[in-house]
Amino acid sequence: MTCCTLALAATAPLWRTIDQPPALKLLVAAIGLAFIVGELWWFLAPHGSGVAARKGSDGRQEVTITVDGGYDPPRIQVVAGQPLRLTFHRIDPSSCVAQVIFPDFQRSLDLPLDASTSIDLLPKEPGLYPFHCGMNMVRGMLEVVAA
Amino acid sequence: MASIVVDPSRMTIDPKASPCCHQDSGPETVAAMERELAQERTLLRRQFTVAAVLTSLVLLSSLGPMVGGHHRAFGPPWFSSPWTQLLLTTPVLFWCGRSFFTGAWSALRRHSADMNTLVAAGTGIAWLTSLMATVLPQVLVAEGLPVDVYYETAAVIITLVLLGRLLEARARGQTSEAIRRLLQLQPPTARVLRQGQPVQIPVALVAVGDQIMVRPGEKVPVDGVLEEGQSWVEEAMLTGEATPVAKAVGDPVIGASLNRSGSFTFRVTRVGGDTVLAQIVELVRQAQSSRTRVQRLADRVVGWFVPVVIALAVTAFVVWFLVSGNAVLAMLFLVSVLVIACPCALGLATPTSIMVASGKGAENGLIFRSAEGLETAGKLRTIVVDKTGTLTRGQPEVTHFERLPGGVLPAPTLLALTAALESRSEHPLAEAIVAYGRSQLQESELPSVEAFEAMAGRGVQGSIGGQQVRVGTPRWFEELGINTATLKPLVERLEGAACSVAVVVVDGRMEGCFGVADPLKPTSAAAIAALRRLGLEVVMLSGDARRTAEVVAAQVGIERVIAEVRPADKAAVVRQLQEKGEGPVAMVGDGINDAPALAQADVGIAMGTGTDVAIAASDITLISGNLAGVAAAIDLSRQTMANIRQNLFFAFAYNVAGIPIAAGLLFPLTGWLLNPMIAGAAMAFSSVSVVTNALRLRRFSPAPLPPASR
Repeated sequence: MTCCTLALAATAPLWRTIDQPPALKLLVAAIGLAFIVGELWWFLAPHGSGVAARKGSDGRQEVTITVDGGYDPPRIQVVAGQPLRLTFHRIDPSSCVAQVIFPDFQRSLDLPLDASTSIDLLPKEPGLYPFHCGMNMVRGMLEVVAA
Repeated sequence: MASIVVDPSRMTIDPKASPCCHQDSGPETVAAMERELAQERTLLRRQFTVAAVLTSLVLLSSLGPMVGGHHRAFGPPWFSSPWTQLLLTTPVLFWCGRSFFTGAWSALRRHSADMNTLVAAGTGIAWLTSLMATVLPQVLVAEGLPVDVYYETAAVIITLVLLGRLLEARARGQTSEAIRRLLQLQPPTARVLRQGQPVQIPVALVAVGDQIMVRPGEKVPVDGVLEEGQSWVEEAMLTGEATPVAKAVGDPVIGASLNRSGSFTFRVTRVGGDTVLAQIVELVRQAQSSRTRVQRLADRVVGWFVPVVIALAVTAFVVWFLVSGNAVLAMLFLVSVLVIACPCALGLATPTSIMVASGKGAENGLIFRSAEGLETAGKLRTIVVDKTGTLTRGQPEVTHFERLPGGVLPAPTLLALTAALESRSEHPLAEAIVAYGRSQLQESELPSVEAFEAMAGRGVQGSIGGQQVRVGTPRWFEELGINTATLKPLVERLEGAACSVAVVVVDGRMEGCFGVADPLKPTSAAAIAALRRLGLEVVMLSGDARRTAEVVAAQVGIERVIAEVRPADKAAVVRQLQEKGEGPVAMVGDGINDAPALAQADVGIAMGTGTDVAIAASDITLISGNLAGVAAAIDLSRQTMANIRQNLFFAFAYNVAGIPIAAGLLFPLTGWLLNPMIAGAAMAFSSVSVVTNALRLRRFSPAPLPPASR
């Protein structure tokens, strides 16, 4: 049957039940559970608040973000109602990160490799505004707080 | 809920403010991105080729022991040795596939997980397990497990995912083709007149106020106003209208349009980011970077997806280990789940379709401002069409003029008196009468008017050369006690032709009668028929008297008319339709005095004038000002949303169906488990099928207009 050539046939000796000592089973289960909890915490729990934007001379908030497999810093804290300039410095050659999209601002920016590219935004309302790469695999967060 | 709380119009990029940074979307940046994409494709192709060759060798090497369960060697014994396989597989993983590992590592450091994480973890675990079996086989033997290695699994997964990336990179280059093509429309140089001499200079150096000469067959480089000469200009690339447009002195010309016949000189009014072409490109980019509601949901899911999949994979491992005690089997399930679940296709599902569709729209003169507009347009049930400027030209013309029995003045005198009086009025109908009078009279001088007075809703009066002249509605003269009974048949006939009637009375005598109408655009009736064919309820909105409005409606085949609506009440009418449950409602208008109604509607559709593209209140702008674009936009929206649904199906089906199979839920029933290699192939091809499906939208072309219903 063609399905069986696609899927591994369940033949011995691969499919074999082996009696394992209960202690080992318990250990594997415990380690697995601990790993799951740790992994979910690592990826999903909030880790620190955003990096605050520095103040430019003309009252503009400025942040430089390094693009290298992710956005560094990934979370940026800015003040509402003041113009913001984000400068992206891309050193990651993967084309996935060649574009950064700000869906709430309806803006996108092409990021040439090994160069700094800026975008000017005016965040008006406090809130969380995610930004991400063209395929939404790499994500950052703009945290707008009240002035 | 409207989640866009920031007004995008306030966030314009000012290139002058930051000369240091390239933040424009000009041809240079696009070219640089193109080059980069090409370089990446070259590297990917090289990595894939190396991976494919090495992987075939690994497969051949591993094939021997698998045949019929006998250890029938394929080639010399050393060729099927696990050590050979280790040697062949290692470069596949860590050279060809190194971007998966480096990407996964840098994502991990930033507390994020993505497709690299899944691929790296899946192949890495298969490789490590095999490494252990190669270096320390006695451990497995002691457990009674087969000393099998899974190098070929790791190598095949890397190769297939690389193939998927390669195909995807190639296809992605094509989705942004529309913007590239738009940018290429602008010619690189312009022939500027300097001290009367034509000088060829790069377009970037052209300034507002320059005079530019355009010869037949050349493209207009930037926007301006024609100053000398005349010609036919093809604007199809911007408006989607195939017919060339006549251009004479004073007419606007648009950059990137093609000069067909004559030579002309024009004065530059807009350059750089202000030109129509630049505005179109910017709007298309905006739409492409906005998100549909569906997409926002998918985005949120993706953030949770990878960590949850890792948890599921580990759960599968633990459960299978507890059930079977077979660590190798459990490991295979773990790898399968990790590899099949890559959410790559999910992330691509909507953006690729939106990219292709908004570009395709721009090619046909349909500018979508946001993905949401594109999404909602296909669900519309009711279309409210403003009469003036949308169905009609918006410029009233005198269609009928006659002297009345009992009048004594010759026609030229009558026209001169009427035109002179009406030239003082600001009423739109007055403008039409003045234009008509001037076109019929030889001399351009009109007699002077004294004691001019405008009576709102009735007409105007004044004294010309001692004669008292009044121009107004028949009702007004009835009120003044003039017997208008003889006018009745004529007035009825004119009103039946959707004309407004103006009667001229000189010293109490009825002298003449004008019929003024706003002529229909030639495509209106066919466009309405197209909308009805799409199953939409079409409602006409007009400030005219009910009778006039109904006549126009009948001419274009609209049955439902809301007449005598003041401009300020248009938004209220739209809201009422929405509240009555006839929504989603679209409003089609000229974008200037209809702005509140356009904003109130679920989809605001503005009729562009050719030079004004960024009409703020609208979701969709029809650059050509042709109503037929509405049906085309709805058609495009429906096809796009169908395409997105198919894409989401492709993306979700692989994941939703794939994960349980990969986790071994079917194993106890059928005895099958999903080979991790097949999981890798499924994952790669889900991305490819999504992008390929989105590219089908490139074949969209607006349906030809049906014959008008009457």
